[in-house]
Amino acid sequence: MSSLVRKQIENLETTYQNIHQEIIDRCRKGDSKAQFEIYKLYYKSMYNVCLRMVGNEVEAEDVMQESFLKAFTKLDSYRGEVSFGAWLRKIVINRSLDQLKKRKVKFEELNEKIPDEETVQLDISEIQMEKLKKAVYSLPDGYRVVLSLYLLEGYDHEEISQILGISNGSSRSQFLRAKMRLREILQKEEMYEYN
Amino acid sequence: MAKLLKPTIKQLIFFNFELEKNKDMNDELERLILNNRRSFEDDEPLEGHFGRFEARLQKAAKPSPIARLRPIFRIAAIVVFALLAVNQARLWFTPDKKDTLSLGSISPQYREVEFYYTTAIQTDMKQLRLLENEGLISDSEKQMFQKEQKEFDQMYQKLLEDLKANPNDERVINAMLEYYQARMNVLSLIVSKLKEVKQHKNSQNEVNL
Repeated sequence: MSSLVRKQIENLETTYQNIHQEIIDRCRKGDSKAQFEIYKLYYKSMYNVCLRMVGNEVEAEDVMQESFLKAFTKLDSYRGEVSFGAWLRKIVINRSLDQLKKRKVKFEELNEKIPDEETVQLDISEIQMEKLKKAVYSLPDGYRVVLSLYLLEGYDHEEISQILGISNGSSRSQFLRAKMRLREILQKEEMYEYN
Repeated sequence: MAKLLKPTIKQLIFFNFELEKNKDMNDELERLILNNRRSFEDDEPLEGHFGRFEARLQKAAKPSPIARLRPIFRIAAIVVFALLAVNQARLWFTPDKKDTLSLGSISPQYREVEFYYTTAIQTDMKQLRLLENEGLISDSEKQMFQKEQKEFDQMYQKLLEDLKANPNDERVINAMLEYYQARMNVLSLIVSKLKEVKQHKNSQNEVNL
């Protein structure tokens, strides 16, 4: 289902693709000016993907820039089946995962009961987006990655389980736990504010 | 906050889609994140990232020292390298070949035979030296032995040359085998005779005592 969502995004982005096609072609020839142009066009969204994945500004920038350089070296393998942005995003996600692996982040939690969804009602409309974002970034690596991939990158649990090398069930339970933790953090914040 | 919650096209698609698949619509948290996906995209990298990227780009664009050379020089470099490599290879392999040429280099069986004879000859030589140290051999005898060994060595060198010229000639191989046999026989004869002399001397000593 979520892959459909991603296709929607990709379709949206293909309209941009043609605008940048000329720059992409120049990048293929190794034109470093064009490469810098591409960077200017895409750095922001790629940086945010990285930041969500690795959860650290310095590392995120490093991984993001590294991904651009990597993308330029293998630009020949980009056939235009998906938008350039989507293609780049995939490289960024893979590089981020490599970075997390270096840090030995574990995604697997075996034989774990999937917790029941909490029914606590949060008055979320009161929560400011910035706070929510901060809360997402403060999640432990494993939770944050699964939550970002599922909600923000539009991967489904099947795809997440594949790229992280965990079971489908683990992906689901990680996601539920991530949400629970998020609620906890937000609730604490609220209480802190009222006190 | 009102600004943040104002839907964009992308968010509308998300939203419609969410309705369609009815995924946790009651989950406010999920919906909030999904509907405000854009605000998760507006962080900026640390200041100076453009410069840092430009530097990396330049570093990546710098061709390797070899690629920067003109084609002709590149070819010349390759040729010089190839010549050096060939020369080095020749230096490595030629002396080895010279050293290894012997009866044993013809076949493994001959290597075994050669090994048998050379070890036998060596042990006899060792014993001869021991007996020599015991003073059982006179100087003139010693000189005779040395002369004999020298002749054997010369014969061996000649045979080696023959073998080099005709590696598969049965006659050369047989001559080589005969040479080894002869040398071994002569040596063992000398050693056994000397041992006899030694025993004789010992028993005479006993008698004298």
